[in-house]
Amino acid sequence: MIRLVAAILLALLVYAAPAQAAPRVAALTPFSASTITRLGVRPVVVGQTLGGTDQYLASLRNVPVIPLSHPLGPNMEQLATYNASIVLSSKTWQRGTPAMRRLGMKVYESDPSSIAAVGHETRAIGKILGRTRAANALATKIENDVRAAQQGIKRRPRVLVILGVGRTPYAMLANSWGGDVVAKAGGQLLTQGLRAPSGIARISDEIVVQRNPDIIIAVPHGNPGAINRLAQYYRSNPNWRNTRAVKNNRVYVATGNQLLQPYPGVAATIRSVRAKFLKNY
Amino acid sequence: MTVRRSSVVLTATVALVAAAAASMALGAVHVPLANIWEALTGQAEEGPLRQIIVELRLPRTISALVVGAALGVAGALLQGSLANPLASPDVIGVTGGAGFGAMLTLLAFPSAIALLPVGALVFGITAAAIVFAIGWSGAHAGSIGRVILAGIAITALFGAATTSLMVAFSDRVQSAVFWLAGGLSSDGWSSLSVVWPYFLVGFLMAVFLARPLDRLALGDDVAASLGGRPRLVRLAAAAAAALLASSAAAIAGLLGFLGLVIPHLVRLAGGTASHRFVLPASALCGAALLVAADTLARVVLAPIELPVGPLMVVIGVPLFLWLLREAV
Repeated sequence: MIRLVAAILLALLVYAAPAQAAPRVAALTPFSASTITRLGVRPVVVGQTLGGTDQYLASLRNVPVIPLSHPLGPNMEQLATYNASIVLSSKTWQRGTPAMRRLGMKVYESDPSSIAAVGHETRAIGKILGRTRAANALATKIENDVRAAQQGIKRRPRVLVILGVGRTPYAMLANSWGGDVVAKAGGQLLTQGLRAPSGIARISDEIVVQRNPDIIIAVPHGNPGAINRLAQYYRSNPNWRNTRAVKNNRVYVATGNQLLQPYPGVAATIRSVRAKFLKNY
Repeated sequence: MTVRRSSVVLTATVALVAAAAASMALGAVHVPLANIWEALTGQAEEGPLRQIIVELRLPRTISALVVGAALGVAGALLQGSLANPLASPDVIGVTGGAGFGAMLTLLAFPSAIALLPVGALVFGITAAAIVFAIGWSGAHAGSIGRVILAGIAITALFGAATTSLMVAFSDRVQSAVFWLAGGLSSDGWSSLSVVWPYFLVGFLMAVFLARPLDRLALGDDVAASLGGRPRLVRLAAAAAAALLASSAAAIAGLLGFLGLVIPHLVRLAGGTASHRFVLPASALCGAALLVAADTLARVVLAPIELPVGPLMVVIGVPLFLWLLREAV
């Protein structure tokens, strides 16, 4: 009887306690927006670069979008109207961090630059949102998925991953997001051994000719509708015409931003790179 | 020609030959000298080494040579015709216009990247044409002050438009930075094949403008009394400079430093401001400096390529400052 009364009292206490308000989170990057959604928090606003084709989860389609065209990232007046208590920003917009803090927002710069950092960043976001257990579970799942996505690699072709458009290639190096994804998918980066602080570097066409890539993956900034034209542009580069990639018609243009920006669903990206480009199952 | 001027021309020629030889011999991939010779004389077999020499290094060396010469001559033409030591392709709006044309292609229409040289060329010439239209119309048409002020205004206008593009497409700026910093690319003959007629017209005009510019240096009144037409000469020189600088920008991006400094360097070294000396010597020195700087840009961190603009400044400024000190 005493136990029953205690249980009823406890239930009443829990019911009477004010419900913990969900934090109002502004997620400025696709990674943070996707991560918090998976942790059960809906962002009050997401960021988007004007020229970009940042990809958000379908469930976030109705979330307001704030342009990231201001030197500080978002326009502070616009950001203030969403009354966010937490801003998940990135190093790109760190100039705006002090201004956000002055507006009373808690700011965390989170944008992993490698696959290995995804788990750590996921756990850190979970801690900030007070969802540590869920974040740990999500991070562990992502790490397991990444390991599974790397199983059964049969070939390791030599790959040149290039960023944007230009008359001389800007190569994604091993310490870039796109380079890391391709390496994890089983590609041997043509730029192996090179490092640059930004993860990308303009490389000599001489080295492309000499190292002779099996596959060239271009990650342009163009609109998806212009992909065919861009692919033709890359394929017709006279300097690459003798490479195995061009001879075997293995110059690909990556659509979407999966090789440009980190996403929690990186395991799916690895599988997609293996299936579409490396064909190494 | 005095001994001093002859030695300047000789030194510049030797420097140019040495820089061109280094540009052919050095790069991200080591190619033995024998293979380079075989490739250049058509004796090499098809293969990567031949392709590197004939299709990558040779067009790049020639492009650097032509662009360097064009910028040196453009600067000399503008400084002479506008009687202003600070004149450079920036002053007549070419740099601003070409920069906008290139950014428009790179940032807003990246799928039309093949049109990059055309965009830079068209907008460079358009900007200069607007400056000329304003500078040579209304009261005091063709006066130096009017042309320079029109140039500053149009440069500011195109500069603002370029900045707006970079803000609007901030996620794409990375691939455009290299163009802004100035640098040649190994795109074979494609860019040069588009702009060579403009180079040719610009260089030919410069040849015929050397004597009229010398007369112009005596002042408009004296030049007119000697049978010259100062405003027409000024317009022709600025137009030739616009053609040369726009074509150079179409190939190598923004390298304003060359056009500003090279003519001064040549005048200081040669001890004369005669355009019959300054124009060809500026062409030689500009070509030598750009070929040398481009070679360095390719080999310092090979296979990573550095932008050539900053390297050119590193090489050129100490030399220029030393000459300036000696002259004083």
